[in-house]
Amino acid sequence: MKSNNNTNNTTDIRNAENAAQVLVNLHEIKKIFYTDDVETHALNNINLTINKGEYLSISGPSGCGKSTLLSLLGLLDTSSSGSYTLAGHDVSDLNRDERAAIRNKEIGFIFQAFNLISDLTVAENVELPLTYRSDFDAKQRAAMVNTALEKVDMLHRAHHFPSQLSGGQQQRVAVARAISAKPSIILADEPTGNLDSKNAQIVMALLDQLHQEGATICMVTHDPRSAARAERMIEVFDGKIVADQRTETPTAIAV
Amino acid sequence: MSITLDIKYAARLLHKKPVFTALTIFIVAIGLGLTLYTYSLLSNLVFKPLLLNKDTPIISIEAEFNQSHLFRIGIDPYDLLTIRNEMDSIDEIGVYQDRTSLIGNTQNNSVTRKYNSVNIEWNVFEFTGVKPIMGRVLMAEDHFEGAEPVIVLGYDIWQHYFMAQEDIVGSVILADAIPTRVVGIMPQGFAFPMTAQAWLPIKQELLSPTDWSRNGLFAYARLKKEVPFEVFQQELALLNKKVVKLLPDNVRWRMDDFEGYLRAVPYKKANITQFYSIFITMAVVVLLILLLACINVGNLLLARVNERFKEVAIRVALGIPRNRLILQMLLESIFICTIGGFLAILIAGWGLELSNTVFEQMYMATEQKPFWWQVSLDVDAILLLIVAVVAMIAITGFIPAWRALSGDFNAVLRDGTRGSQGKKAARASQILVISEILLSCVVLVIATILLSTSYSAGQADYGVDTNNRITATIELPVVDYPIREEEEFELADTLKRTAFYYQLKDSLEQMPNIEGVAFMSQLPGTGAGASFFEIEGRVAAVYNENPYSNNEVVSRDAWHAIGMRVIQGRDFNLDDISAEVDTIIINESISNDFFPDGDAIGQRVRRAFRNPDADREGGWQTIVGVVSDTYHGSAMRTSSEQYSSYFMLDHIGYSSIDVAIHYNGSQAEAEKSLQHAINQVNNNATVYNMQSYDELISQPMILVSAISKVFLLCGVIAIFLAASGIYAVAANSISQRTQEIGVRRALGASDSKIMQLFMRKAVWQLVIGLSIGITMSLWVVNKMTDTMVINQGSYMVGLIAIPLLIIIMVLVATYVPTRKIVLMEPSDALHHD
Repeated sequence: MKSNNNTNNTTDIRNAENAAQVLVNLHEIKKIFYTDDVETHALNNINLTINKGEYLSISGPSGCGKSTLLSLLGLLDTSSSGSYTLAGHDVSDLNRDERAAIRNKEIGFIFQAFNLISDLTVAENVELPLTYRSDFDAKQRAAMVNTALEKVDMLHRAHHFPSQLSGGQQQRVAVARAISAKPSIILADEPTGNLDSKNAQIVMALLDQLHQEGATICMVTHDPRSAARAERMIEVFDGKIVADQRTETPTAIAV
Repeated sequence: MSITLDIKYAARLLHKKPVFTALTIFIVAIGLGLTLYTYSLLSNLVFKPLLLNKDTPIISIEAEFNQSHLFRIGIDPYDLLTIRNEMDSIDEIGVYQDRTSLIGNTQNNSVTRKYNSVNIEWNVFEFTGVKPIMGRVLMAEDHFEGAEPVIVLGYDIWQHYFMAQEDIVGSVILADAIPTRVVGIMPQGFAFPMTAQAWLPIKQELLSPTDWSRNGLFAYARLKKEVPFEVFQQELALLNKKVVKLLPDNVRWRMDDFEGYLRAVPYKKANITQFYSIFITMAVVVLLILLLACINVGNLLLARVNERFKEVAIRVALGIPRNRLILQMLLESIFICTIGGFLAILIAGWGLELSNTVFEQMYMATEQKPFWWQVSLDVDAILLLIVAVVAMIAITGFIPAWRALSGDFNAVLRDGTRGSQGKKAARASQILVISEILLSCVVLVIATILLSTSYSAGQADYGVDTNNRITATIELPVVDYPIREEEEFELADTLKRTAFYYQLKDSLEQMPNIEGVAFMSQLPGTGAGASFFEIEGRVAAVYNENPYSNNEVVSRDAWHAIGMRVIQGRDFNLDDISAEVDTIIINESISNDFFPDGDAIGQRVRRAFRNPDADREGGWQTIVGVVSDTYHGSAMRTSSEQYSSYFMLDHIGYSSIDVAIHYNGSQAEAEKSLQHAINQVNNNATVYNMQSYDELISQPMILVSAISKVFLLCGVIAIFLAASGIYAVAANSISQRTQEIGVRRALGASDSKIMQLFMRKAVWQLVIGLSIGITMSLWVVNKMTDTMVINQGSYMVGLIAIPLLIIIMVLVATYVPTRKIVLMEPSDALHHD
């Protein structure tokens, strides 16, 4: 009994530790799209937990639902059913503005197409998510922008416009924008999809570095080499998670 | 073959979206239709030179236009002789005096009828290249003193008054009761100089005067082929300087305040001087509407290209040649603008027909419609339409073609999305929205101010009661009521004429259906004669710093007949005829403004002139009464004055005067009574322009009112174009930023932040567009005030209500599409195609 008690205590402590480490918890998530009379199950009973500091990749064939999953994780879309807990808060039923506020504080996005705003300079693009918050004054924002740009080695192009940058540089700016507000999780959607191998390597190295500094990263990719960089690889097929494995030693990027 | 495929494809696309196609064709048809209509109207009425069978344009030589009274003034015959003698650049010239003639038939003692006639130089027929259909035209000998009085009749008089009498040529008829021989009949439609229905020789003394006089003549002329009109104007300006220096004191009134006197004007323009700025405003407004239509159609097609961007990208990827791509983009414009052009012909044709009807109504009573005021579509107009269609195809096709060529096709093909809006495209969208705001503002402000002014003028209180009142003009026959120049006959002649009017008044007022009769030089609500006046003891140093008033001649016991009241003092009476002091009656406004203590009665006033010694007729006049205010002239005319002074008819006794009759029963009965009473007093006297008082007042307003309706139409079209255009441009511009909105929302921007972003931009566009638009509107309206009085209320409506309306339109046009995109899930917005 004693030993049982000990075992139970150990399990409780582990659960408590786990609970403290859990950043994202998806439970029985479904996403159904309706087009005319056709019902498409993009995601089917997804259960997923992401711990703080984890670096995971989501991969799978085209149309499997990986980008939809990322959209739900990023609160860019809402699920048809199921619950979603982010940093201990249930975010399944938030209204639009509450979701926007969570996105702004907790999530950083890196898109395949960079999605920088062409009429804003590099610095202004990076500053953009900070301007949606009232807790930083202009000076603080400038400092945060400089820090983020320095981290991606783009400070020297702070006053350029996106059109004046190469694809790799644009994506580095997008990374800086994603980390400028120090989010809980970085969601990257095919971050190297539009880049050549050299720039892809630079961006992946940046993500590695962010992970080593403690950032939680969730990356959608169909590139196995990029996926292998993560410490946890999730495979999605037909809207379901069909594999969830940890890599013993993440591969150094090889292109 | 491949181009055929493109044509089929363009047709299929248009057919696939019938609402879009119908809307764009409608906008094009309206824009082009209005342009075509306005061009035809202005070209026929104003701009197309009057040639009349020759290849050099006819010009008018006359005195400077009287801006304060809005009428044309003739030149002293002596100065015209100087022009004839000294200006070598004139090829042909002739002079005339407009008038009316009472035409009668000596054979059957029928009732005389008033016709528009002209005393004119014999060469007019050769000048116009028109030959008579019967008999001969005037000859030089007909001008000579002692020559038999002769007349050339117009086709209408011959057909309708003389019932197409075959032996009319050679017969003697009555022209102003003078037996006159008919020497010729002119063909149908000939009415030169403007509205003539009969031509009489002008007196030789006016053709070869030896000194200045009070006569005024107009001249028609053609310049030598090699002399440009502008050069002639410069020469005339030089001659003007010379002539005004020579003018003796007693005729210096002929020049204006800037020593302007002689002027040459294209013949058609001379006749519409008072409406010129309104016509030009109309042309400006219509051009702006055409531009608005171009922008709208261009924008609609631009939105189409945005929809087709992926298709364009695929074509580019497949290697479409640049010119072929441009042609493809132009094809839809070609379809739309060509069909719109055909519809525009129908719209313009309908508008011109309507205008002809308005002109007929306008001049029904006076028969003063210039003979060229018959508007229709001509070859020039059709050529203009073709040019406009081609220009519209270029403008509306260029915008989408430019967009199609400037896109990042690689990005589109790579990402499957059309990419975010580039900086240039964003700026182009902003310029489009600002242009829409600006153009809409100008068109709507002008249309509203004109409409509001016209409406207010129509509703204006002229200070008279027009119910159950008829008005007419009575003209006395010169034979029975002569105006002899010798001073000893002046009083007797005046008394004789005056006696006619009072006999007529007595005769009418004895009839049971007549309540009262008023004779007045010009009745309230119609054109006025005005001058400065001095108040004894308060004479200004310079004559034109004195107050200004209308001057009217009025019969005794007239006020009640038109609903006016004597407020203070008394009416004119018989004692005033022989009294040693001249008497005058003023209106309430003069009394209130200059005699606020109510002490106007007994005070003395007199006319103020530039050159008092030479120009003054009569001396001080004692105020004996104050009457209620009336408004002379149209409420829209700058000549309308609030001050009026009344002189006693008995002292002047005009040979032609307006009459207003207050009746009970039917209007037809009252008109019959007037005719009957005139026949009783003197059946040679003629009554014409018989109409209700309301019709009389509306006469000067008909053209403005008709143009106002065109402006109303322009306004309605502008609102439609502005609303749809601003919405379409804004929606298109915002829709191109869907992905950007998605990014912003992905980064955590709240709905309100996004809305604020777009609304703030809309406000900036409004500030820029409205600032320029209002400034331009004020400039145009300021030009309009040369010939119109624009009331304060109209300014308020135009400059407050219209900007407010545009603000609402722009904010709604921004809010609705932005809200629509904001309501999308960010993931959808990010992947918006």
